Amino acid sequence: MQRLKEVDVVVLGIGMVGSMVAKELAAAGYKVVGLERGEARFTVPEFQSPAIHDELRFAVRKALMQDNTREPVTFRNHASQVALPIRRWESFLPGTGLGGSMVHWNGQTYRFQANDFQLATRTRERYGRSFLDPDLTIQDWGVTYEDLEPHFDRFEYLLGTSGKAGNIKGQRQPGGDPHESPRSRDYPTPPQKELFQGALFRKAASSLGYNPFPQPSSNLSRPYTNPEGMKLNACVFCGFCERFACEHFAKSTPQTVILPVLLANPNFELRTGCQVQRINLDSAKKHATGVTYIDAVGREFEQPASLVITSMFALNNVRMLLLSGIGTPYDPVSGRGVVGRNYTYQTVSSAEAYFDQDVIVNPFMASGASGTVINDFAGDNFDHGGLGFIGGAYIGAVNSHGRPILYHPVPPNTPAWGKRWKQAVIKHYNHTVIIGVHGSSIAHRGNYLDLDPTYRDAWGQPLLRMTFDFPQNDVKMSAYLTAKAAEIGKAMGAKEVAGSPREGPYTTQQYQSTHNTGGTVMGDNPKTSVVNRYSQSWDVSNVFVIGASNYPQNASWNPTGTLGALTYWTIDALKNKYLKNPGRLVSA
Amino acid sequence: MARITRRSFVATVGSAGMVPAAALLAAGAPAVAPPPTSHAPGSSADSPGNPGSAQTVYLFFSAAEAHFIEAACERLIPADESGPGALGAGVPNFLDKQLGGAWGAGERLYRSGPWQPGTPSQGYQLPFTPAELFHTSLRAILRDLDAQNSPFALMSAENQDMYLESLESGARDLDGVPSAVFFDVLLKMTVEGFFSDPVYGGNRDMVAWRMIGFPGAYADYFETVDHHGVKFEREPMSLAQDGKGHVHTRPDIPATL
Amino acid sequence: MIAGSRLPLGAPKDVLLACALACALVSAPAAAAPAAAAPSAASKPGEAIPPCEACHGAHGEGMAAAHVPRIAGQSAEYLKKQLDDYAEGTRDNPVMRNFAKALSDQQRRTLAARYAAMRATPRPQATAPNAVQQARGHQLAYQGDEQRRVAACNSCHGPDGVGVLHAAPYLAGQSADYLTSALKSFQQDTRRNDAGESMRSVAKQLDDADIAAISGYFSSIQ
Repeated sequence: MQRLKEVDVVVLGIGMVGSMVAKELAAAGYKVVGLERGEARFTVPEFQSPAIHDELRFAVRKALMQDNTREPVTFRNHASQVALPIRRWESFLPGTGLGGSMVHWNGQTYRFQANDFQLATRTRERYGRSFLDPDLTIQDWGVTYEDLEPHFDRFEYLLGTSGKAGNIKGQRQPGGDPHESPRSRDYPTPPQKELFQGALFRKAASSLGYNPFPQPSSNLSRPYTNPEGMKLNACVFCGFCERFACEHFAKSTPQTVILPVLLANPNFELRTGCQVQRINLDSAKKHATGVTYIDAVGREFEQPASLVITSMFALNNVRMLLLSGIGTPYDPVSGRGVVGRNYTYQTVSSAEAYFDQDVIVNPFMASGASGTVINDFAGDNFDHGGLGFIGGAYIGAVNSHGRPILYHPVPPNTPAWGKRWKQAVIKHYNHTVIIGVHGSSIAHRGNYLDLDPTYRDAWGQPLLRMTFDFPQNDVKMSAYLTAKAAEIGKAMGAKEVAGSPREGPYTTQQYQSTHNTGGTVMGDNPKTSVVNRYSQSWDVSNVFVIGASNYPQNASWNPTGTLGALTYWTIDALKNKYLKNPGRLVSA
Repeated sequence: MARITRRSFVATVGSAGMVPAAALLAAGAPAVAPPPTSHAPGSSADSPGNPGSAQTVYLFFSAAEAHFIEAACERLIPADESGPGALGAGVPNFLDKQLGGAWGAGERLYRSGPWQPGTPSQGYQLPFTPAELFHTSLRAILRDLDAQNSPFALMSAENQDMYLESLESGARDLDGVPSAVFFDVLLKMTVEGFFSDPVYGGNRDMVAWRMIGFPGAYADYFETVDHHGVKFEREPMSLAQDGKGHVHTRPDIPATL
Repeated sequence: MIAGSRLPLGAPKDVLLACALACALVSAPAAAAPAAAAPSAASKPGEAIPPCEACHGAHGEGMAAAHVPRIAGQSAEYLKKQLDDYAEGTRDNPVMRNFAKALSDQQRRTLAARYAAMRATPRPQATAPNAVQQARGHQLAYQGDEQRRVAACNSCHGPDGVGVLHAAPYLAGQSADYLTSALKSFQQDTRRNDAGESMRSVAKQLDDADIAAISGYFSSIQ
């Protein structure tokens, strides 16, 4: 093992979060090393079409995703079962490589609402202490929406997100989401064009008294130059968004919004192909001395650093702390410990609306986020009294593609193969709208992450073990909301509407979402959180963990927008508090 | 959408004059399966306008395996009045090249043990690579059919469907592979071979894309997305076609960037 | 009529004459519009010369030296849109504007269809691109440029630049001088009829050497 020269900061994972942190700290004069497990890739040549428009390679075989021949996750629904490796990714698709998952995301860019950041307090206030099952371990974040608002704004302007505000400083804006928490100004670019499906949805939703609005999209509606000087182009609705990279410089990704600035700064050194094995601690286990990693050739290095930032994909952040012995691992039996606690996901379902032959949908024309949605059933935007659950979903015509291997909707009771299947595919392909229900995920004491006792990665380290099933709260929620989605489908004029609510047991064999959240929860109580409100480890004060792993539970919306805000918030604390005076920022 | 011409698809029939399966079980040798019988006599192999007539050179499947696969795939997605089925689209060729390549050898599959059957939520838990899964399953299937002196390709369509349903339901054990697992992979890969870009050797002449109106790999819709409810009319385009429209196949594209 | 208006770059005098003649012809309303019959490249003896042919040629081959593009085999939808845009001014060209404004919507459709149906005939190039330009043009066509933040031309313009229906016109075999003037007009915002400002975004990132490379490369594809 070779010991390298000490640097100020080592950043683990150069995805969006890592790029932002590294850029800011390098610009502030610190020497920063960025360690990325995967390879460097850029819009030219790696993301160019037509080669990138290959559904089999990228959507089915998952060419941009983490290689699970070397590093999968093991999974079981309940602690009474034996966890087995997820031998092929299906339900969630962790990214890898420079730029991380945001290279191939859908660009759906939401803000959580004020209520979400104080979910425990506000739920108790509104519905009473006994409303919730005691096994549900929801918590407040330790930060408020107001704390984060300027950082939401900054992140949206970094990306150039296309949308329509619904609430600017308390003033309701027509055409936007009336439920959104107040923002200081409108989105940096106007909404993307409305698709035909979106128009059908909008009219139907309005007729039912709901408030449809355009999905906020980081596939830009027009050319834009961000505050870093990065130019992005207009998205052309190619329908190869999620799981694919964008050839047009139109999707907001680290490559298009910030990496060129980061890579040009001599204070920053990028090392790719580096698999971090652990964060090293001193003998008292209270201070990190740096990290150990193995490079692509198999050589082991120690990189000493004053400050360690773990900004990897959420699941990998949790695993890194467990492998490093930072924080007490969570034990679901006793309920003690914190690392791995409150693992949550996303409760996704849909209603399929089948139309007559004269309704021509052209599903292949779409961006990843050119939908039309309502938030009337999201979060706590509706009265849950008597319903027996909390949480909600945004509901909308959010179809993002028509790629035929994975998209060929057929009505219920259609055989899975044969002539009748084939005829149904032909009949319905261009005449179906899928109404998505994107639901929150409540924290449960039995859903958690830890290290697997049996299976190892290619470097010999224990794999992360996931124990998860949908709590009854979320199953009830999904049934209720999917029925609402089906009503909208009927109001759209569909001949037949089939709702498929999410039911247990959770399966890893059907794609649902890559919104794996929790495990390094943030909060103001070290007994129930891993990091404080500044993303700083309670146990090792020179380790900061930034990721959706910090979320105490998952809200109704895609986590990325909120993660961007959390990142800028943390960067602010690093630059203006921690680095000026290293030490604990919050007393326990 | 271009109309599929009569000569460009093939009705499903078992090939006349088939050699019994057992006699064709020659391990390792690439097989050239006799082409389906109903193409126009004298048509050349592999001509773009006549996908059903193309001869597939099998590198993975033995001749006996290929005969089963051809007939089975054609039941999964049959030719009918709307156009070619799996056979006419070249799905057996797609399968052959995928299974004979890196995907078949276990690309993107975590292969370490120990192995347990697991719950449905936990997915595939067998040690087999896709190639091993197919060879193992097909060996058991062919042995079983041969013992009954009932080559699959010679069965009536109804009996073929019944046999496939028995695989699908998990009623059979295929030398340790639950038949439902094999069937599931076969069906998935058949759909892939039907709808993937023709660069991979299936979806010949983009017949599957024409069938549903999917335009393919060239996809700039900025203006057309405004034409709500108007059918999009354009020939489908492959990522591998050149300026003359000829598709250059390359079945071995890796499943990593 | 022509005095004071901006002509295509470097238009020689005989083109001016041809354009003047064409303008005179089109001033006679409706009479000059060709019938929507079977497309034929050349007009019959005795028939009034369609004004298009005077500059775009009897076979739609264009006039390279005058930066008049080849339009034979171009997408009818694209040609119709250009006529509409010329008339409206989002594509700025006073000569084409006059022609286009004089045509009814149906006449524009007819003309567009006529030229779309012509077979694009290969033409000898006045000057071939040099090896460096050829390589750079090929690179931009197939890969794009990360520093300049331009995607591969072919991603929208099709394999070998043959065009993609409803999306982008062919570039292959187009006049190099015309391609250069088109990119320049996007770069300078005098042409603003590109969907999503995509061509303006691209052109503003290119320098003169890149423009010459692209133009030379695509013009040399037969």
